[in-house]
Amino acid sequence: MSLLLEARGLVKQLGGRRVVDGVDLLCGEGQIVGLLGPNGAGKTTTLRMLYGFLRPDAGRIHVGGVELGRDLARAKRSIGVCTQDDTFDGDFTVEQNLTIAASYFRPRPTDLGRRVPELLERFELTPFASQKPETLSGGYRRRLMIARALVHSPRLLFLDEPTTGLDPQARMGVWDLVARLRSEGLGLILTTHYMDEAERLSDALTVLARGRVVAQGTAKTVLGDLVGEHVVVLDAAAAPGVAAWLRQRGRGEPAGVLGAWHVPVSGEELADFARAFPSLRYEVRVPTLDDLFLKLSLEP
Amino acid sequence: MSWLGAAVDWQSRAVVARHLRVYLRNWYTAFLPPALEPVTMLVAFGLGLGGYVASLSWQGRPIEYMTYVAPGLLAYATFMTAIFQSLFGAFIRMRYQRTWEGQLTTQIELTHVIWGEVLWAGLLATMYAAIIAVVLVGFHAAGFITIEIAWLPLLLPVSFLAACAFGALGLCFTAMLPTIDHMNLPVFLLVLPMGLLSSTYFPLEHPVLIALNLANPLYHLAQTFRGVLIGGPVAVPLAGVAALSALMLVILVPLDLRLLRRRVLGE
Repeated sequence: MSLLLEARGLVKQLGGRRVVDGVDLLCGEGQIVGLLGPNGAGKTTTLRMLYGFLRPDAGRIHVGGVELGRDLARAKRSIGVCTQDDTFDGDFTVEQNLTIAASYFRPRPTDLGRRVPELLERFELTPFASQKPETLSGGYRRRLMIARALVHSPRLLFLDEPTTGLDPQARMGVWDLVARLRSEGLGLILTTHYMDEAERLSDALTVLARGRVVAQGTAKTVLGDLVGEHVVVLDAAAAPGVAAWLRQRGRGEPAGVLGAWHVPVSGEELADFARAFPSLRYEVRVPTLDDLFLKLSLEP
Repeated sequence: MSWLGAAVDWQSRAVVARHLRVYLRNWYTAFLPPALEPVTMLVAFGLGLGGYVASLSWQGRPIEYMTYVAPGLLAYATFMTAIFQSLFGAFIRMRYQRTWEGQLTTQIELTHVIWGEVLWAGLLATMYAAIIAVVLVGFHAAGFITIEIAWLPLLLPVSFLAACAFGALGLCFTAMLPTIDHMNLPVFLLVLPMGLLSSTYFPLEHPVLIALNLANPLYHLAQTFRGVLIGGPVAVPLAGVAALSALMLVILVPLDLRLLRRRVLGE
């Protein structure tokens, strides 16, 4: 697998605050890297640096071997970007959006006469080709955004929260498209708030918190490193001794969701817990990325 | 990449081509307003108001008010078209349509977006001026005005340069104003006073206005057009409009870049 994106030591200061602080990120051909983190973690700023929208204050980014800071235009020729918000050109039809986007690249995308109908067909946009994008439903707008990002045949695609606001059916449609793009060898960098999406689609995860990388690897590794092996779920009101038990282990108050505590524990701690609270009713489940977000959001 | 060199980069031309493509979609919205506006203005100011103007002197000789107004109308349209395009048109593309954000995800950079807007303001204003010039030829042929129509094409490059400078000025406000409602401030505090008090519709005689207008490129533009079309000094006002326009571009485009880098990119 050849490396498409290599970012080392990225730093960015905005409004006098260091929002990205020494981030490293790698992505290879046919790989999906999920970039995760709670709000304000620095995901969008990192992404914007990676696709050349913002210039890093420090650090280097190579796309397909080309350093972004040295030859931005050449590096951006290999990049496709689907922004979080719809940024299609409302003055043009769906089909024209693809041709106008192609006009912003040199060398010019070849054989547009074949490429544009092919993309419209592939993203099921052919029936809407002559309509204005604002007449499309949310799912089809996302499809147009992704199709537009692919019109110049990039090698690396950035997807910033591609399914936010979509209904479940439209979300799964986008997942299917993303999985197919990966199988064609495209490298993808994905940010999302949906934990199931990150777990299902990503080959590797990079988790950011307060502008720093706090974990990198597969979903399983990241969860094991940051959350633990198991999560004990119990009614907070019915568990008066649990807070004291946690304090004895140097742990603070656990994450609370709708009156229930979600307590991440190791295998050894789970055995201790079972011995300490033999008559308590609780549930044990595997940790998810939701637990990771809850944990990160509780940390000072 | 220098900010100045970006003016001739293919990316800036691609942005202009995009705006031109949108503009030319409907011939009636593209060509009717610039063709009808001078007719209305010439009828209102020339035939209507001109009927109450007893005599007007230009370079020591009496001329018809309508003939006096015609070159001013050309300069006024150049100014208004360019500045309104870079105020409202650019603001809508930046804020509401998010066209700029879409362009910035490609090989287009912010410097190209800015030059694209400035050059488009210049091109659109020049196209308007060309259409108005055709209308003026019609009025000349009909005997309503007397102008040197052979020189009209030579005015277009001057119109383009000045319009680019006016476009760069408009972009400064676009970069600074928080909402489209705030556009009223530059429109009423700068654009309308500048448009009307630059010898476009009447000769300047008040010494304060004359002194203020020495630094006003629109005044020099109107005087250049008048000198070419109805006879009079051309070299000094032409040098004035060229120098002031170049100065505005050199100062305002980097300023636009700085302001918009903060606004659009958050830097």
